[in-house]
Amino acid sequence: MSTTIIETGGLTRNYGDICALKPLDLKVPEGEWLSVMGHSGSGKSTLLNLLGGLDRPSNGSLRVGGEDMQGLTEDGLARFRREFVGIIFQQHHLIPYLTAVENVMMAQYFHSVPDEAEARLALERVGLGHRLKNRPSELSGGEQQRVCIARAIINSPKLLLGDEPTGNLDHKSTLMVMELLKELRAEERFTIVMVTHNPEVAAWGDRTIYLDDGILVREERTRS
Amino acid sequence: MSRPLRAIWAVISSRATSPLVIGVFLLIYIVLAFITDDTLIALMEYTRTNVLLVVLLALVPLNSGCRIVKETDRHLKLRRALAGKSANDPSGLFDESVALPVPSSFDGLSGRLAATGYRVRCTGGTLAAWRGVSIYPVRVLFLAGMFCLFAGILVSLTTRTTHRMSVIEGEPLPTATGGGGLVERITLKTGAGPILAKILTMDVAPSDSGDGRKVFGLYPPSLYRGYFVYPRYIAIASIIRFSAPGGQTAYEKQAVMNIYPAGKEDRVEIPGSPYRILFSMIQPEDGSDPYVTGRITYLFKLMNGKEVIFAGSLPVGGEFVRDGYRLAIPEGKRMVITDFIQDYGVLLVWGAAIFFLAAGCIWLPVTIFLPRREMLFVSAPDNIHACSRSEGGGRKHGGVFHEALDFLEAGMADRQPFDGGSAEK
Amino acid sequence: MVLAKLAPHLLSWAGIVLAMGRGFSGRRSVVAAGAIVGFPLGVAGACLLSRAYPGDFSFAIIRDIVGGSFLLLWGGAVAAIYSSTVREFPRSWGERLANSPFCAGAVALSSGMIAGAISACRLVGTYNTLPPFLLLALAASILALAALAVERALAASFPVSHSGLMASVVALLLFSASSIIRLDLFSPLTMKLMKFSHDFVHQFFESMLIPDHLFIRTYLWGYIGLLFGNGVGFWGALILWFTPAVLVALAIQWERLPSVAHIRQGAQRRRLLATGIRARRFRLVIPVLAMVVLAAAVYRSRFPSVEYWDPKPLPISASPSGDIFIPKKGDVDLEDGKLHKYLFKQGGREARFFVLMTPAGKLTVDLDACAICKPDGYGQAEGTVICYYCKTLIPLETVGQPGGCNPIPLPFTEKEDGVHIDGLTLLNMWGTNAQSTARVKGGGK
Repeated sequence: MSTTIIETGGLTRNYGDICALKPLDLKVPEGEWLSVMGHSGSGKSTLLNLLGGLDRPSNGSLRVGGEDMQGLTEDGLARFRREFVGIIFQQHHLIPYLTAVENVMMAQYFHSVPDEAEARLALERVGLGHRLKNRPSELSGGEQQRVCIARAIINSPKLLLGDEPTGNLDHKSTLMVMELLKELRAEERFTIVMVTHNPEVAAWGDRTIYLDDGILVREERTRS
Repeated sequence: MSRPLRAIWAVISSRATSPLVIGVFLLIYIVLAFITDDTLIALMEYTRTNVLLVVLLALVPLNSGCRIVKETDRHLKLRRALAGKSANDPSGLFDESVALPVPSSFDGLSGRLAATGYRVRCTGGTLAAWRGVSIYPVRVLFLAGMFCLFAGILVSLTTRTTHRMSVIEGEPLPTATGGGGLVERITLKTGAGPILAKILTMDVAPSDSGDGRKVFGLYPPSLYRGYFVYPRYIAIASIIRFSAPGGQTAYEKQAVMNIYPAGKEDRVEIPGSPYRILFSMIQPEDGSDPYVTGRITYLFKLMNGKEVIFAGSLPVGGEFVRDGYRLAIPEGKRMVITDFIQDYGVLLVWGAAIFFLAAGCIWLPVTIFLPRREMLFVSAPDNIHACSRSEGGGRKHGGVFHEALDFLEAGMADRQPFDGGSAEK
Repeated sequence: MVLAKLAPHLLSWAGIVLAMGRGFSGRRSVVAAGAIVGFPLGVAGACLLSRAYPGDFSFAIIRDIVGGSFLLLWGGAVAAIYSSTVREFPRSWGERLANSPFCAGAVALSSGMIAGAISACRLVGTYNTLPPFLLLALAASILALAALAVERALAASFPVSHSGLMASVVALLLFSASSIIRLDLFSPLTMKLMKFSHDFVHQFFESMLIPDHLFIRTYLWGYIGLLFGNGVGFWGALILWFTPAVLVALAIQWERLPSVAHIRQGAQRRRLLATGIRARRFRLVIPVLAMVVLAAAVYRSRFPSVEYWDPKPLPISASPSGDIFIPKKGDVDLEDGKLHKYLFKQGGREARFFVLMTPAGKLTVDLDACAICKPDGYGQAEGTVICYYCKTLIPLETVGQPGGCNPIPLPFTEKEDGVHIDGLTLLNMWGTNAQSTARVKGGGK
């Protein structure tokens, strides 16, 4: 029986009078690929931010990897983000004046110490062995997203969060990134929570939940 | 090797021995500093006369020699290991070693290491990779320098003999055993280089004892019959004739006058009388050096006790007569007060300086630009033994080594990197 | 008032206890006992010593003990650097000893005794009753307990290595000693080093058969002459002063990181390395602080808070026969134990000298110069005269004896009414000693 990596109970997030996430009960077993769908403003990114320790819940309980997120101090949250989570954004947020390998090393630096050989190996794993010394502007959108994936997995996270990682990519690149994530998950056995608008992308997950106005309205298992 | 011998070897070849010995001498220096003001001289004297301290000091060159042997042995073992010729476990020679419980081929690995700038050699079940230049030759040079320096100090302290002699133009070279060649000429010239202001040479004719013609300069000092000829001071050897009124005091003697450079005073006591004469050299108006030109004019002051009787000047070969006093200087020869020093430790210290200089010149660029990094992978039937070392630290090398280990364990030699996927679910 | 005087010593003591508490974190009770017993013992020892040997001797003993601790730090620092950089360095027995309760107790006791003795020296001579000394011991005990309480509250991730502990304790002892002019080590170190440099250059030239200054270019000799100046003494002493703490810091910086080759996950490897590096950085804090404390000790040594008695030289002349007479009870009282300076001028030549009544009750007449330094003269402070050039302290008891940086004694005749000095002898002695040092050394004030 697989262990639960994410467990929420009545998880709520308010921004003033606006309730972005209404009491949410969710369990995600370790190793699962969970897709989160919903319209804009449905609370997808709020949920992702809470899971990644980027934001704190207003109410309810949230346990990720056995950690009670509300009990964590700012330092604890920072350590959690550093060691437990990898995040891939729609906007790549790569540092424009650093090369691909240096961008990956930057994540190592904030985690512990940089190691160029390991960063190079990570880029080779995502098929960018030939683009190590290129800056983001010299890479295509798909390649940039693969650098982001290398950056996200370099610290061996238990939980990989994706916020519309293929939102800016064409169809071919989207498939390539999805294939890569699938392959890496098989090797590294991390859990993926991916927010997307795209039902095709959501279908790569094991399970999809649908949020509407901050409420979990539906969930369905993907037929493999 | 028996146990006592092993213990002795461990002590004399330990890296801690030399600093400890130097520390002991430092402590003795500090203790002596409380007792005397001339501490360094006292320490040298004390060491020279104390067998225990001589033996202790001898430990430093001995230790340096043993270190050379030990480090050479280690270096050769390392080379053999990297060449895949060592039958022994090489772990002790490296900083890090690890056994990977996966048999694997080195095919992909050699290419990867070569791509990161390592030179790779694959022999049988061994893969060695290295880059940079070993610090070993620098260590040997440094240790040789230490050996020479302390052996030189030891030899100097225990065997140095010094004879201070007056080398006078036109007279035989004084030596400890006598029979030196004739000093034909002493020349003092103005130096042209950045270091010496004056250049002194002493030309010595062949002697009856079989010594050849010699020209002694200032530096490096020349050897004469096993003695270094070390010129110390310049002086004038003058014959002085003096007589006082009444004829009771008559004096003639060759006197050594330490009156160089012009203006410096020296005095000659007239034995058995209250007279003494203060001499100095007059500085010629044209600015020339009287020692160089040989045109020496003496300025003298005849004194009876504290009372000055008269003063005047007198050239070489001249005579001064007044009130019944007669002073003549028929001869004034160039002269050099010279130390004849027998001390072969000096050669060793010079050698040490060369060794240290060479070591420093190699060490700096090697450490900065070409630090040595080594890796060794030895394949066994059920595992791979991997070792790594880097001179002067260097985490980057550690990263490459660990990546190579990851690569081997993941069996990635046989695995292709991500090629873009099948684009199908 | 007493406590205000003792503030630097008590602060140093608190720092020492805090460092020891952290350095021997498993042995806090032993450290507390050693410290609380050691300090009063040191105070009592210093009091007894100063009663048995009034004058400079008791100070000299305590200063030598502090000097001994500095030498120990040197030894420890060299051992630390070897331990970090040499694989085969035998370190197990040393570690066993350092971790033993005996070591913790011995360090706490001896540090307490030295700190107590130094602090008591501040009171010796000024206070002759028991209460100030009891107050000192009591304040030190309370501070020790408070320091240990503070230490307990410090984060566990802030460790102190054994070499770092050594550096901090010795640095604080040196700082404490530097507040008392007769216990200060830096000035004598400067002086000894200046002398060593002089002797070494001389011996080196002789040993290597290098030609004398007669043959060397003047500019080059000028550079060599720098090695004889007090700049060499000062900078060399600074190097000797700070090197042990720097070596301790380097030893920590060069400590090998844990081997991570057996770990097959990069992030885990890096995390372990980062932990090692972070721990190393924390351990560096104490040696760096020790350097700051050592710098403060140098500052106190160079700019002591004591006021010097620095009289202006009084012009004086000789009789036609060349005799200089100074009455014992004239404008100045020669027997008041203060240094009285005079300036004698004759025929374009001049010389400076002073008259002083030593604690033994003997009058002494000396040149206002020594045989080594540039003749910047002497001032008087706290039972000593101080050479302004090299800052060496000369105990009043030894003024009148020749050698080293002591003022050069001058022959004189003491009569009922005053002292008689031969003017020509004075001028000649000044000419042969003071003027030659002024020419050779250069620099100075």
